[in-house]
Amino acid sequence: MSAFVPPGVPRPGNANQARPQPQHQPPNYGPNAIAESMQNMILNRPPSTLPGSAPRPSPFGQPPPFPSPSPSPAYSGGSQPMSRPGPPPPGVLARPTMPPSTAAQATFPPNVAPGRPTAPPASHAPPFGYRPPAGSLPSSVGVQTGVSPRAPISGAFPGGPVTTPAAPPAARPAFASAPFATGPMVPPTGPPSASVNNGPPTFAHGGLAGGPRFAPPGGPAPQQLPVAPPPTDQVPRGPSMHSLMASPSVSSPLAPPMQSSSTFSRAPQAMPPPPPSPFGAQPWSMHSEQMPPPPPVPGPPQPPRVFGMPPPLSNQSMTAISPAMASTGPSLGGPSKIDPNQIPRPIPSSTVTLHETRQGNQANQPPPATSDYIVRDTGNCSPRFMRCTINQIPCTADLLTTSGMQLALLVQPLALPHPSEEPIQVVDFGESGPIRCSRCKGYINPFMKFIDQGRRFTCNLCGFTDETPRDYICNLGPDGRRRDADERPELCRGTVEFVASKEYMIREPMPAVYFFLIDVSMNALQTGGTAAACSAINQVISDLPEGPRTMVGIATFDSTIHFYNLKRALQQPLMLIVPDIQDVYTPLQSDVIVQLSECRQHLELLLESIPSMFQNNKIAESAFGAAVKAAFLAMKSTGGKLLVFQSVLPSVGIGALSAREAEGRTNITSGEKEAHKLLQPADKTLKTMAIEFAEYQVCVDVFLTTQSYIDIASISVVPRTTGGQVYYYHPFSALSDPAKLYNDLRWNITRPQGFEAVMRVRCSQGIQVQEYHGNFCKRIPTDIDLPGIDCDKTVMVTLKHDDKLQDGSECAFQCALLYTTVYGQRRIRVTTLSLPCTSMLTNLFRAADLDAQFTCLLKQAASEIPSSPLSQVREQATNLCINILLSYRKFCATVSSSGQLILPEALKLLPLYTLGKLLSPVYIWELV
Amino acid sequence: MTEFLDLEAQDGVRMPWNVVPGTRQEATGCVVPVSAIYTPLKPFPSMPVLPYSPLRCRNCRSVLNPFSIVDFAAKIWICPFCFQRNHFPPHYASISEDNLPAELFPQYTTIEYASPDDRPSSVPPVFMFVVDTCLIEEELGFLKSALLRALELLPDNSLVGLITFGTLVHVHELGFGQIPKTYVFKGSKEVNKEQLLEQMSFFLKKPKPTTGVIAGVRDGLDAESIARFLVPASEFEFALNSVLDELQKDPWPVASDQRATRCTSTALSVAAGLLGACVPGSGARIMAFIGGPSTEGQGAIVSKILSEPIRSHKDLDKDSVPHYHKAVKFYEGLSKQLVNQGHVLDLFACALDQVGVAELKVAVERTGGLVVLAESFGHSVFKDSLRRVFQSGEYDLGLSSNGIFEINCSKDIKVQGIMGPCASLEKKGPLCSDTVVGQGNTSAWKLCGLDKATSLCLIFDIVKKESPDATMQSTSNQFYFQFLTYYQHNNGQMRLRVTTLSRRWVAGPGSVQDLIAGFDQEAAAVVMARQVSFKMESEADFDPIRWLDRALIQLCTRFGDYQKDSPSTFSLSPRLSIFPQFIFHLRRSQFVQVFNNSPDETAYFRMILNRENVVNSVVMIQPSLISYSFHSGPEPALLDVAAIAADRILLLDSYFTVVIFHGATIAQWRKAGYHKQPEHQAFAQLLQAPCDDADTIIKERFPVPRLVVCDQHGSQARFLLAKLNPSATYNSEAPVPGGDVIFTDDVSFEVFLDHLQRLAVQ
Repeated sequence: MSAFVPPGVPRPGNANQARPQPQHQPPNYGPNAIAESMQNMILNRPPSTLPGSAPRPSPFGQPPPFPSPSPSPAYSGGSQPMSRPGPPPPGVLARPTMPPSTAAQATFPPNVAPGRPTAPPASHAPPFGYRPPAGSLPSSVGVQTGVSPRAPISGAFPGGPVTTPAAPPAARPAFASAPFATGPMVPPTGPPSASVNNGPPTFAHGGLAGGPRFAPPGGPAPQQLPVAPPPTDQVPRGPSMHSLMASPSVSSPLAPPMQSSSTFSRAPQAMPPPPPSPFGAQPWSMHSEQMPPPPPVPGPPQPPRVFGMPPPLSNQSMTAISPAMASTGPSLGGPSKIDPNQIPRPIPSSTVTLHETRQGNQANQPPPATSDYIVRDTGNCSPRFMRCTINQIPCTADLLTTSGMQLALLVQPLALPHPSEEPIQVVDFGESGPIRCSRCKGYINPFMKFIDQGRRFTCNLCGFTDETPRDYICNLGPDGRRRDADERPELCRGTVEFVASKEYMIREPMPAVYFFLIDVSMNALQTGGTAAACSAINQVISDLPEGPRTMVGIATFDSTIHFYNLKRALQQPLMLIVPDIQDVYTPLQSDVIVQLSECRQHLELLLESIPSMFQNNKIAESAFGAAVKAAFLAMKSTGGKLLVFQSVLPSVGIGALSAREAEGRTNITSGEKEAHKLLQPADKTLKTMAIEFAEYQVCVDVFLTTQSYIDIASISVVPRTTGGQVYYYHPFSALSDPAKLYNDLRWNITRPQGFEAVMRVRCSQGIQVQEYHGNFCKRIPTDIDLPGIDCDKTVMVTLKHDDKLQDGSECAFQCALLYTTVYGQRRIRVTTLSLPCTSMLTNLFRAADLDAQFTCLLKQAASEIPSSPLSQVREQATNLCINILLSYRKFCATVSSSGQLILPEALKLLPLYTLGKLLSPVYIWELV
Repeated sequence: MTEFLDLEAQDGVRMPWNVVPGTRQEATGCVVPVSAIYTPLKPFPSMPVLPYSPLRCRNCRSVLNPFSIVDFAAKIWICPFCFQRNHFPPHYASISEDNLPAELFPQYTTIEYASPDDRPSSVPPVFMFVVDTCLIEEELGFLKSALLRALELLPDNSLVGLITFGTLVHVHELGFGQIPKTYVFKGSKEVNKEQLLEQMSFFLKKPKPTTGVIAGVRDGLDAESIARFLVPASEFEFALNSVLDELQKDPWPVASDQRATRCTSTALSVAAGLLGACVPGSGARIMAFIGGPSTEGQGAIVSKILSEPIRSHKDLDKDSVPHYHKAVKFYEGLSKQLVNQGHVLDLFACALDQVGVAELKVAVERTGGLVVLAESFGHSVFKDSLRRVFQSGEYDLGLSSNGIFEINCSKDIKVQGIMGPCASLEKKGPLCSDTVVGQGNTSAWKLCGLDKATSLCLIFDIVKKESPDATMQSTSNQFYFQFLTYYQHNNGQMRLRVTTLSRRWVAGPGSVQDLIAGFDQEAAAVVMARQVSFKMESEADFDPIRWLDRALIQLCTRFGDYQKDSPSTFSLSPRLSIFPQFIFHLRRSQFVQVFNNSPDETAYFRMILNRENVVNSVVMIQPSLISYSFHSGPEPALLDVAAIAADRILLLDSYFTVVIFHGATIAQWRKAGYHKQPEHQAFAQLLQAPCDDADTIIKERFPVPRLVVCDQHGSQARFLLAKLNPSATYNSEAPVPGGDVIFTDDVSFEVFLDHLQRLAVQ
């Protein structure tokens, strides 16, 4: 599903992918279908396919080669690189490259142009065609391809989203993000051919976006690239940047940029088209110069191998800048170095890797997040659920500091599995509930050690020894394991789900409540936002979970709030208008939210008539804050999902906002200092409300179908605090966006998800959680509350040492998520990861997880940007990268000449990523 | 007595003193104030309606009347109030002794003018239903069907609006497009008119005027916006019916130890605000149907917690009523607003519990609204009363609106005020007395709603000083009064009714007999009743019994015939003879004895008393009792326990209740079914006679009285026993002839008279 999103984006490329999805989608709904969905996802991932598609070729003319991918690309000569444009300069080297790059650019433009056509995409009919794909649009496919130009864009999104689905929401890219998350893994499937596919996948992220156009560039750019936007010249980078930005920046950041300059705004969305000559060009060029990066080369071909796992061995060496960068982008890249022996479970030519989480009682290094892999849970959890930035834990805080790397977990507790993976097993301990350590309350897991003939067990988290409950005792085998360990999922799997007993419930598990809140102010009607929302909801009703526990409500609002009494006894829905938007209330206690089965007809009728009912609405004001508050009051007793469709800047009622971007712009000229304030919420009203929502388990998702400034920085606070998501359709087009909106909404509702969740991460002694980052509400330091949690949401957990760890021991991390399923079952999903500790710096570098590391940096940067001057954040981004490399060079590299950049194998793409990040709109918006 | 009735039949006026004590001192000695009970819209079949504007005195603005002195030759008339000489205008040129305009005919002392340029029905009547939904299903069902029936009876051109309330206030948009809509307001929060307009999107099509008052279509509002909430009853019958059909009980849950959240005051203020914005100045009625105590908003009368009882008279006396004063203050504000807008608040309170009539009284009374208090919406008292409101034909109420009442009188008379359903327009003038009673300090009053029964009690002040020289001028021993009532007739026409009275005044020694000759004891009793009610409400620590006793003793002392200190010589002229009996029953009535009634009931009784004419008021004070037996036809019986007999049927009319009381034997026979046997036709007729009479009473009365049919010794018999003079009680020594006793320690009328005689002659 996530994939869809991207598609929506419009780009042609997506279209192709899109198609596939449609078919698949249906499956998704069904729980079983997950597998299929996965596939879909993959498909969506434009990456692979797209790149190959039209775009590239045209631009460079080289098309042929590229498609084939991999091969040649490798290092393109000066010229080629150029083509790659994107070639993000992996290495700092850049300088030398300069020349080429410029050249490249020059050339590009022309090329681009052709491809780009997309830019205008929105307007173009074709684009539409594409979107639909997501939904259904098989037919369109053909067309889409033609359009291909767009494709890039889509790609971009993906990149952005990357791991953190949630965050991204803000910008369109954001949407993409969601998909991405999943997407990454998928890649393989999409692309048919192995080699190619692989390549693509990697690209996929980056590649796609940029990919098509720059094709090559994209590749390099790797994940980020996506951004097609930048278009032409800078194209490669540009794109990538955007995409990245999108994701990292999360919602807020992006928004602002767009707003700031009209032109700008366009750019983002339409990225492609916009290439607004002026803007686009300049920024990019600037960067490019600096970066000089020699055009990285497309390493594309190799990507496939990538899966294989990055050659661990090669750590030190590399350097090689250009080569590495080249194509693979995301993928690990170092082609030549791959040693087949390192691959835990080699897969012939296919792109899919099989990954066992532990082998020989040792944690296995996970495959890159961007590759396609199938996990076998042999004790540690799948990396889909929890991924550590370093797969070995430094024994001391000093060691970690020296390395310059971040130590954090990326936790995605409900992540979609690969269709071929075993489902997560559900364990029911009955009344007594799951076995837990009596001191730290850690849950039973494969690393708890049973001793004394199984009568007692030692907690791997806190070290405390407990009595084994009598009926749980089992003899130990000669290896010290319980004899029944393999039959009990909680003793042999890194991820299990416990059925929650009564003590985990403060009340009955809540029903699945979906409340739709639609803006019907004049603007919303005129731009088609209302109609799009109504039709999307109408289509999506049938996808809601069946059963008596599914409740639905609907309200519309302009300068007043309109609820609808959907009770069956009434002949017609009754509209209840709440006119007081300073002090709102819900007009009915019960009948505003009704069992879906009782009101389906009313609901459909109503949704069909809303656009015409308000057709002549002359009210331009929109009371977003008040409406959300009123809807919340209606849902207060149960909690649930609140989906808001907003089209204009909320101008009246509680939490009204002002068009402060205008002031912001003037301020920029006077001094840059205040600019970042635009990325902060305007005031605390919405935050206060959001915290209350979270307390009552209301999760808010916001769909912004706008054509003007809407102050996402302020609005996004609500979804961010309640575990929701922002969807942004910037210049909203009634022609091209509805299908995408539908697609997004459908995925939002049908993806695996849960309600009223509480999550906590526990660590072994010596390490403790420093902070959680993500979309949630935190009321006590140790837990986070997630009114809504779904498969796309990732929480970053930063860790810190509070003691020394023992070299050779293992350090465990356990994430427990207590949540209610859409069918009303209370569950505890426990995800455990146990990693070895090391005191060797080299091991750290070898065990570094590039994707996780970079995601972590992105997330940190995203949270910094609203509060610090941009120049500072930018500088910091560079420094972080430099520090790691410096540490490596200083302490680990065996050979070094001053003119050579030495990169640890695992992190060899870091500089490239960092560059991509710096070129993303978040970092440069104010220059535009 | 009959001459007073004749006077009433001519002008709708009853005065206690038809010969007026001529000086201030004299008037004070008369105890019962110089006053008049005037029924402004009393129907007079023979009264002409003149299709032209009245001729007015250019000095005092009084209207030409039969008491004016006309100089036919000079074409001049002299105003009897200020003696100004006025020329007749040219169109009166043909006036002569043989050719008089109707207004000068001596028999037309009451006459009506209809201004010719008024297009009737240009302003349709407006009804805004304000309906309580915090009811049990059964009650809601009764109410719905009553409302549906009422809608059928509405005049076709009338505009209707609907507001329902419970925890929240729902303003129904009846002129809706695709789906029914309601605007929902919070019950605990006041909304003023401006907010209301803003929030209900009145300024969408027509921007809000930057200055000035917003008032209806003429000033600032767009007709379409108004038409959303006020729709023609005939065209929107279907919409109205469907909205009413679907009306649900207030859906908010009520805890078992709590009262329902009912925001009566907010609903009323929203209704007032809406009407004020949409149709200010034209006749509109807010009809409130309330089924329980208000617990939310400014007008709450009690908290939601059930363990807190609703205020009683005792609480009011002790002033331990946390909500009362706040609520009354709120409704005073609301009544001002309504009076400004010219709108009426009608109250239909149907609940076993109190609903807050006592608090609402001020708003209902000042606007001239109707009030009905019943136990249930299913009770005939409510159902039939509601039907009567809209009924046309013989028994129609003659509801009129937007009345303004003005008065002119001779210069030696001033007005203290009016006790009745009206509001002062605060028009001060030389006519205003320094003493204020009721709505005073003005010479003009607003009657937002009035009907043909509405009766005002005007209290006058005689300011003339004793001045020997002025005494016997024959021309000036008349006092003149002129009552002007402008109102919107229920056909939409604006009318002016003019009643001009002349009364002789006497002064000095020897005037006592004249005064007695002009004494109307019924009117006097009613004036005393209104006065005592008013004082009980407005004066703290007022002792009504003492006040009444003192007044009666003074009156008897002044007008009785006796030798000092010799009680046995005491006698009263027939003109005065029943007055002590009225006072005796007044002392025992619900107006004075509030002990057994809730504040709501008392407020209700007083409101009705304050708007009824003399005849009906007298029934409230001293119920009428008719006895039916085989021995004789129906005959009035003494209101005494002695009237009870086993072989009689009694019909008691105490105005609010009509009781048919079967003596023990009659009851037995009836139970045995004799009346169904052909040979006992006479018995059947005997049983039927009081029922027919009761029906006649019920048909004419509004609010419809409660009919109680009971048997001697039955529990329902208390309705009769409570009203009877307790001449025989459980501790009477002599055996009782009628066979019934009353368990009371109250003094009987005989004892009362004894004491009166003793005290009067001292």
